[in-house]
Amino acid sequence: MERFAFLRRFTRNRGALIGALLILLVTVTALAAPLLFPTDPLRMVGPPELWPGEDPAFPLGTDSLGRDMLAMLVHGARATLLIGLFASAMATLIGVSVGAIAGYFGGWIDEAAMRAVELFQTIPNLIFVLTIVVILGSTLHNIVIAIGIVSWTPIARMTRAEFLALRDREFVQACRSMGMHAPGIIVREILPNALPPVIVLSSLVVASAILFESAVSFLGLGDPNVASWGRLVGDGRQLIRSSWYICAIPGIAIMVTVLCLNLIGDGLNDALNPKLRDR
Amino acid sequence: MTAIPLEVRDLRTTLFTRRGEMKAVDGLSLSVGAGETVALVGESGCGKSLSALSIMRLLPDPPARIVGGEVKLNGQDIVPLDEEAMLDIRGKEIGMIFQDPMSALNPVVTIEKQIAEVVMAHSGLGRFQARARAHELLEQVGMPDAGRRLDAYPHQLSGGMCQRVVIAMAIACRPSVLIADEPTTALDVTVQAQVLALLKRLQAEAGMAMIFITHDLGVVAETADRVVVMYAGRKVEEAAVDDLFEEPLHPYTAGLIGATPVPGATRGDRLADIPGMVPALNALPGGCAFAPRCSRAMERCRREKPSLTVPVAGRLVACFAVAGEAA
Repeated sequence: MERFAFLRRFTRNRGALIGALLILLVTVTALAAPLLFPTDPLRMVGPPELWPGEDPAFPLGTDSLGRDMLAMLVHGARATLLIGLFASAMATLIGVSVGAIAGYFGGWIDEAAMRAVELFQTIPNLIFVLTIVVILGSTLHNIVIAIGIVSWTPIARMTRAEFLALRDREFVQACRSMGMHAPGIIVREILPNALPPVIVLSSLVVASAILFESAVSFLGLGDPNVASWGRLVGDGRQLIRSSWYICAIPGIAIMVTVLCLNLIGDGLNDALNPKLRDR
Repeated sequence: MTAIPLEVRDLRTTLFTRRGEMKAVDGLSLSVGAGETVALVGESGCGKSLSALSIMRLLPDPPARIVGGEVKLNGQDIVPLDEEAMLDIRGKEIGMIFQDPMSALNPVVTIEKQIAEVVMAHSGLGRFQARARAHELLEQVGMPDAGRRLDAYPHQLSGGMCQRVVIAMAIACRPSVLIADEPTTALDVTVQAQVLALLKRLQAEAGMAMIFITHDLGVVAETADRVVVMYAGRKVEEAAVDDLFEEPLHPYTAGLIGATPVPGATRGDRLADIPGMVPALNALPGGCAFAPRCSRAMERCRREKPSLTVPVAGRLVACFAVAGEAA
C-alpha cells in the first residue's frame, strides 16, 4: 500500500512521468542495442555525410566516415547511461559516507571533512575532471572515477545537514539510551530518514555526470573505444557548418536525457519529501 | 547483601559554554532501592533531565560534562567507565523512557525491528528469536492486537500505543533501573493513567528501581514512594511521598503544591503561584538560589547556600528558615 502511494505521488507530477517514460525508452534501447544493431557501430557502412532521410537504410544519416548515425546513437546510449549511473553511484557512496560520519560525530571530524569538501569545491569541476582523466588515462573506468570524485561534495553536504538535524532527535537518543553502537545508529536508524533528499540529489548527479562525460569526450579526451554521445558531438565538430546534423542529433539525445533525469529528480522530490506530500 | 540498584552520590554536571560554566547539576545525591520509585520534581530548567542524562552518561559533550561524584549502578561506579563499556550497560542494566513517544521512535522503521534491534544488541538472539521476543514484549506492555502491530510504523499507532512500544524497548533486557523522563506529559489524561498503571505493574513484576521525572504532582502522588525536589540543579528537599504532601517543608515545595489545582476549590479562587522564574544557571544568586522568589527569605539566605539538614527523621531539606524553626 505504501509503495502504491509512492507511485501515485510520483506520477502526479506529469513532467516526472514523461521523464521516467522517456528514460525507460532510452534504457530499453540501450539494452537492446546489440540486438538492434548487431554489427560494430563504428564500422563504415555507407557513403559519408548522408543527411537524415536521404537514404531509408540510414534514417538518421551517416557521419563524415560513412558510419550509421542511428547505430552509433543507440550504442552510445549504453556508454552514456552506464557512465552516468556508475559515476553517480560512486559520488553517492563517497558523499553519503563522508556526510554521515561528519554529521553524526561532529567536532573535529566534521571540521576536517567539511574543509576537505570545500577544498574540492574550490576547484573548477570540469578542469578537475579533465586533469584526473589526463593523469589516469582516457578509459571508461577513469572517466567514471574522475566524475565521481568531482560530484560527491553536494551529496556529502546534504547528508551532513540531514544527519545534523536528525542526530539530536529523540529516537536517536533513545537508541543510544538502549546501548546501540554508533555504526548501527548511523546505518539503521538515521540513514533511512536522511535518504530521500539524497536520492533526489543522486538522480540529478546522473544528469550532470552525463554532461561531464559529454564535455570530456567532446574535448577528445574520452575513451577512444567507446562511442558515447559526447564523442559523437565532438566528432561532428569540424563539419558543423555543412553537416550540422552530426552534432545536433547526439546533442539532442543528451539534452533530452538530461532534461528527463532532472524531471525525474523533481518527481522524486515531490514523492519523497513529506513536506510537499499533501500539496 | 545485594547492592542497591542505583546510588548517586554528590553528582556534579557542569555545562561549559561561551558564557561561562554553569552548574546544571550541583551535588545531587539519591538512592533508589529495588522496587522503589523515586520522583524527581521541579520546574522546567532545574536540572531534572540533565540529572537523568548524567546518570545514563548520555550528556551532550561538549558542552556538558560530569565533573564530580559517583553513580553506582548495582554497586559499580559508572562515571569513570569509557563509552564502550557504557554501551553494554545502557539498555541492559539501565533503561530510559522518553517524554514524547512519537519522536522517541524512528519514523521509518517498523515497531518489530525497533524492539528487535535492542534485543539483539544485548542478548545475542537471532533475528527470528528477537522477533518472537518483540511480540512477547508487546503483549507484556498490554499492546492490543500485538501480533498485528509488529509490522506497523509509529505513525500508524496512537500516542499511548507508541509509549507502550517505548516502554517495551526500555524493559526489553530487564534492566534493574528504569528512568522515566516525563513519560506521561505528552499523553491524554486517560492514557496517562493507563501508562502509569502499566509502569507500576512492570516495576512490581521485575522489582525494578525507578526514577520518575515529572513536574506533575498529581502523577507523583500516584506513583512515587519518595520524592526529591530539585531547584536550580540542587536537591532542596527529599521526603516520603505522604509526608511531603502532608507537610511540605521547603518553601519551594510548598509553592509547587500550592500551585496545583485542587478539585472542589471554590470557583473564582486564584491558584497560588510562585512569583518569578527559575534563575538562569549563569546568573545564580550568591546564597540560596530560591531566595529571590521566597516569601520566607531572610538576610542569611542571600549570603549563604543552605546545606541539607535533617529536620525530622527520614526527611531532608535545604532551607535556613526550616532549620531555624526546628532548632
